Amino acid sequence: MRRFKDHLFLVYLVASTIFVVLPLFHILFCVFANGLPVLMKGGMNFLTGVLPAPGDGLGGIGPAIVGTLVLTVLATLMGLPIAVLTGIFSAEYPNSLIGRATRTLLLIMMEFPTILVGLFVMNILVIPLGSYSALAGALALAIVMMPYVAVYTEQALKDVPSRYREGAFALGLRRRTVVKILMSMARKGVVTGILIGIAKVAGETAPLLFTAGGSYTVYFQGINRPIGAVPLLIYQLVQQPYQNYHEIAWGASLVLMLIFLAIFLPIRLSLKEVKL
Amino acid sequence: MKIDKFKLALLPITTVVFGIFLLMLIVYVSQSIPIFKKEGLAIYTTNVWKASETGEEFYGVLAAIYGSVYTSVIAVLIALPLSIGFAVFVVDYAPKKLKEPLIVATDVMAGLPTILYGIWGAFVLVPLLKRFVMEPLYEHFSFIPLFSYPPITGYSYLSAGVLLAIMVTPFASAIIREAYRMVPRVYREGAYALGLTRFEATKVLLGYIKPAILSGFLLAFGRAIGETVAVSLVVGNTFNINPSLFAPGYTISSLIANQFGNAFIYNYMPSALFAAGLALFVIGLVINVAGLIMLRRWSHAKV
Repeated sequence: MRRFKDHLFLVYLVASTIFVVLPLFHILFCVFANGLPVLMKGGMNFLTGVLPAPGDGLGGIGPAIVGTLVLTVLATLMGLPIAVLTGIFSAEYPNSLIGRATRTLLLIMMEFPTILVGLFVMNILVIPLGSYSALAGALALAIVMMPYVAVYTEQALKDVPSRYREGAFALGLRRRTVVKILMSMARKGVVTGILIGIAKVAGETAPLLFTAGGSYTVYFQGINRPIGAVPLLIYQLVQQPYQNYHEIAWGASLVLMLIFLAIFLPIRLSLKEVKL
Repeated sequence: MKIDKFKLALLPITTVVFGIFLLMLIVYVSQSIPIFKKEGLAIYTTNVWKASETGEEFYGVLAAIYGSVYTSVIAVLIALPLSIGFAVFVVDYAPKKLKEPLIVATDVMAGLPTILYGIWGAFVLVPLLKRFVMEPLYEHFSFIPLFSYPPITGYSYLSAGVLLAIMVTPFASAIIREAYRMVPRVYREGAYALGLTRFEATKVLLGYIKPAILSGFLLAFGRAIGETVAVSLVVGNTFNINPSLFAPGYTISSLIANQFGNAFIYNYMPSALFAAGLALFVIGLVINVAGLIMLRRWSHAKV
């Protein structure tokens, strides 16, 4: 009987493993199976063209791709300095009250519903400015990105063996100089955090819903104008009843998935573990 | 006393992060005030959605709160056995060659853009669930309240719950796996020395990491309840409070995603949606803080 239970247990473990991983392969397969024909049919034009009218062929998702690029770069510019410095702070002063509070806050913000960030940015930026804008979209993404980069920076600094820190202080260096040295040692971890943050926000949809606005028939018009993004485009197209829009959505999904895997897989394979 | 100039220079920047969080809270509270003044707590306790540009407006988001909790509970109930089973398999049983690929696969799943889950859910998962789960169950067991709603479209609490389960399982299993891996070897050896089978030994060891398991589920629940786009594409977006798994519904986040775009032509709808957001804010905060405390307590205890 105990033997039997042991076997049954193994069956349960294998079954749950299959159930956990199977959806990933099914998703990858479906995105390829549905997206690849669209990409083949649309050709280069699918990557550079603009969104067609309903029922009027495939067109392209060029503005959305450029939009995702612009939003990600802007978000990184806004979020990165604050995030890295916050990470340094909570690594350098782990026992002070503010240091501990910062760490807790970062972990909370990592799990914070991203739609609430979007709604918040709409309230403080879109309404006063009177229009959806690239700036608002990027700010929302920057807020989403910040905790990831900060937590990685903190961890990277903490992973530097403490004798280097002690040695530097023993030389009588100022803390600013010490941190500079430690940062150059922790560079790899910090860069990883930045890349994970970028991979994360490049795929985000919810924070953009009420901030970026979406713009798929014209290319980038300036940071105070509405802008498109690939995930946002997919979300909007899926909800439309038109056949050609669904096809474009699958094609765009394949593009998004390839972008994500191109950033994420190299980082993941060069590391032991990641925190998402 | 010597002043730490470096700390002084970093402090304002750290304050920015706190400032953003605080400002968010202030915005949600202040924007909710008009609807609280008008309706009181009825915004949370009734299920009405009367939008009107000229006449009387009334909003109650109970259906969305119910849907959020319902779908997240379904998700966690499915994710619970799967992620424990997966974690144990990866740590104890998986051959070396399989171990690393399995972990990479779940990490990819945890990071995959949620909209990809959304499009897959809407076009692939919903028809599958409708055809192979909902219709057979409805046909034979529709006398049970859980299965009593005719699955006409397939967009339902169940679809959302299953999709969320798929999304949060890798995340929950990562936390459990990490904790399970940390259990000292001597415990396992001790268990075998007592003559326990692997199953019995694993049961004992899982008991040891109970706080980590609990925190994994709290954090997974927090993630599920905040998820927006994937859910809103499969949940059906209908004001509905129905015990049946197959009924369409709303969640707080999908309600906001669907209604906020045109909310500003009504007087009170923006405020009502901010109040719904405030509810999500508070629920998410409480769940995640509880999860983080559990996790911290466990990681302190293990040393």
